[in-house]
Amino acid sequence: MPGKRALIMHPSDNVATAVEEIQPGEEVTIPLGKDSLSVRAIELIPFGFKIALHEIPRGEIIRKYGDTIGRATTPIAKGAMVHIHNLEGVRARGDLERRGEG
Amino acid sequence: MSFLGYVRPDGSVGTRNYVLVIPQGIISKSICDFVVGAKTIVTTDHGSGRTAGDRETIARLLIGLGRNPNVASVIVHAASPGAGYPELGAKRLADEIAAGKKRIEILDPAKDGGTYGAIAKGIQLARVMVYEASRLRRVEVGDEHLCLGVKCGYSDTTSGIAGNPAVGYLYDKIVRAGGTAMFGETTEIIGAEHVLAKRAINPEVARAILDAAAIQEAKAKATGLDIRTVNPVPSNIKGGISSLEEKSLGAIHKAGTAPIQGVLKYAERPKGTGLFFVDNWMGHLSIFAGYAAAGANIVLFQLGGGGVTGRTLLEGSPTVVVPFLWTTANPKTYAAAKDSIDFYSGTVIEGTETPEQAGERLYHTVRDIASGTLSRSETLHYSEPIDMYLQQPRF
Repeated sequence: MPGKRALIMHPSDNVATAVEEIQPGEEVTIPLGKDSLSVRAIELIPFGFKIALHEIPRGEIIRKYGDTIGRATTPIAKGAMVHIHNLEGVRARGDLERRGEG
Repeated sequence: MSFLGYVRPDGSVGTRNYVLVIPQGIISKSICDFVVGAKTIVTTDHGSGRTAGDRETIARLLIGLGRNPNVASVIVHAASPGAGYPELGAKRLADEIAAGKKRIEILDPAKDGGTYGAIAKGIQLARVMVYEASRLRRVEVGDEHLCLGVKCGYSDTTSGIAGNPAVGYLYDKIVRAGGTAMFGETTEIIGAEHVLAKRAINPEVARAILDAAAIQEAKAKATGLDIRTVNPVPSNIKGGISSLEEKSLGAIHKAGTAPIQGVLKYAERPKGTGLFFVDNWMGHLSIFAGYAAAGANIVLFQLGGGGVTGRTLLEGSPTVVVPFLWTTANPKTYAAAKDSIDFYSGTVIEGTETPEQAGERLYHTVRDIASGTLSRSETLHYSEPIDMYLQQPRF
C-alpha cells in the first residue's frame, strides 16, 4: 500500500507539507520530480502541517519553498511535526530587538 | 482570448456598468436608495482632521473609484465634512475624474436648495444617468483590458501549495496577454522580498520593493513585540503556518512569475500594464477598495480557511463597483461554504489537477464573471464599510 502523501515545494527543503492526516508510525511518500522520498512519521501530522524530512539540530535553518521559514528552537527528530513549538521565525522580531538580540 | 465588456471614452473597459455617487453621506445614500444601478461608498472617515498626506490618499480613493472602468458616470456632492480641504473639494474630485472623459455632475446644497434640494436634483440626474448607461452594450474585447487585484486571507498551508499557485497562473496569463495585475500586503512579503526584488524590471523597482518591506519590518520591530503574536494571525497558525516568513513565501505565489513593473501606493493607478506590487495592508475592508480605485475590474480573495470553521456564508469585501471573487483550495472551506465560493482548486492537493490546469479553469471563471455572470458575493446586498489605508496620526 502506498504511503500517505506530503508535498515538498523545493528540492533543498528539509520539511514537507502533509496533504492528508498522517498517523504516528505511518510511512509518508513525498514526490520529488520523477522520484520520491519516504519518511516514517513519529507522531500525528494533521492536514496542512509540516513533517521533518531528516534530523534538524537546534538552531538550524528550516527551509520550505527553497527558502528560510525560520530556525529550530529544539532538536527536531526525523518524522516529527514542525510547527511553532519547535520553529521560530526570525524576521520582524521586535522582542529580540528589545533584548538586543535582533 | 477575450471577454465582453463596456468600452469607456478613455479606452478602458468595464466589467460592470454603474453610476457612482461620492463622497459618502446622506445625499449619496438617498440617491442610491431611490435609483436602480447607482452605487455609493461607506467609510469610517471623511478626511476631517487628517494630514495632507492622508487627505491625498482619500482623494486618490475617491477619484480612482470615479475613474474605474466599471463606472459609466459620476455624481459628486459638495456636502462632505472633508470638502473644505482643497484636496477633497467637489470641484477637485470632479476635475480629476473628468480626465476619464465620462459624464460628471456636481451637487452643491448651497446652490441646489439645501440638502433636500440636492437629494431631489441628484435623484433626477441619477435616473437619467443610469438610463443612459443602460443603452451601452457589452462588446468583445481582449484580455489586455483586464485589471486584477488579489489578496490571500485566512491563509493556511493549502494557500501556498494550491490556492495561490492557481491565482499565480491566472496572473501570468493576464500579464502575458497585455493586461494588468496587482498584488500587495507588505507585511506578508517580509521574508520573501528578496525573491520579488529579483523579478523587478530595474534596480529602482527592486530597491522600492526592498524598502517597502524594510520600512514595514522596522515599524514592527519598533513595537517591541514578537511579530508572531500579531502575524501570522491565529487562523494561519491553526492552519499549519508556523512563521511570518513561511506565510510570505507562500503568499507571493499568488503573484505568478511575471516581471514587476513598479511599486504603487494604496489606491494609486498604475502607469502602464503588467504586474505591480502595491505597498498596502492586508485588511480586506481596506485592500480591495484600493485596488478598485487603482482601476481593477476584477478582484479575488484567495481563502485558506483552516481557522474559519463554522462560516457557511462568506460575505464579500467592499469594492463599491468591482466584482469580488472568493477562491479556495481548502476542501473543508469549500465544503462548508460552497454557495459563496466562485472557484475551488483543492483538486491540486487531491492530485486530480495540476496548478496550471486549475489556473486555466480559474481563468475561464474570471472571463465569465468579467462578461457579466454575477460573482457569488454580488448576489448579496450586504457590504461592510471601507477602511481606507491611512497611516498618519489624526489631529
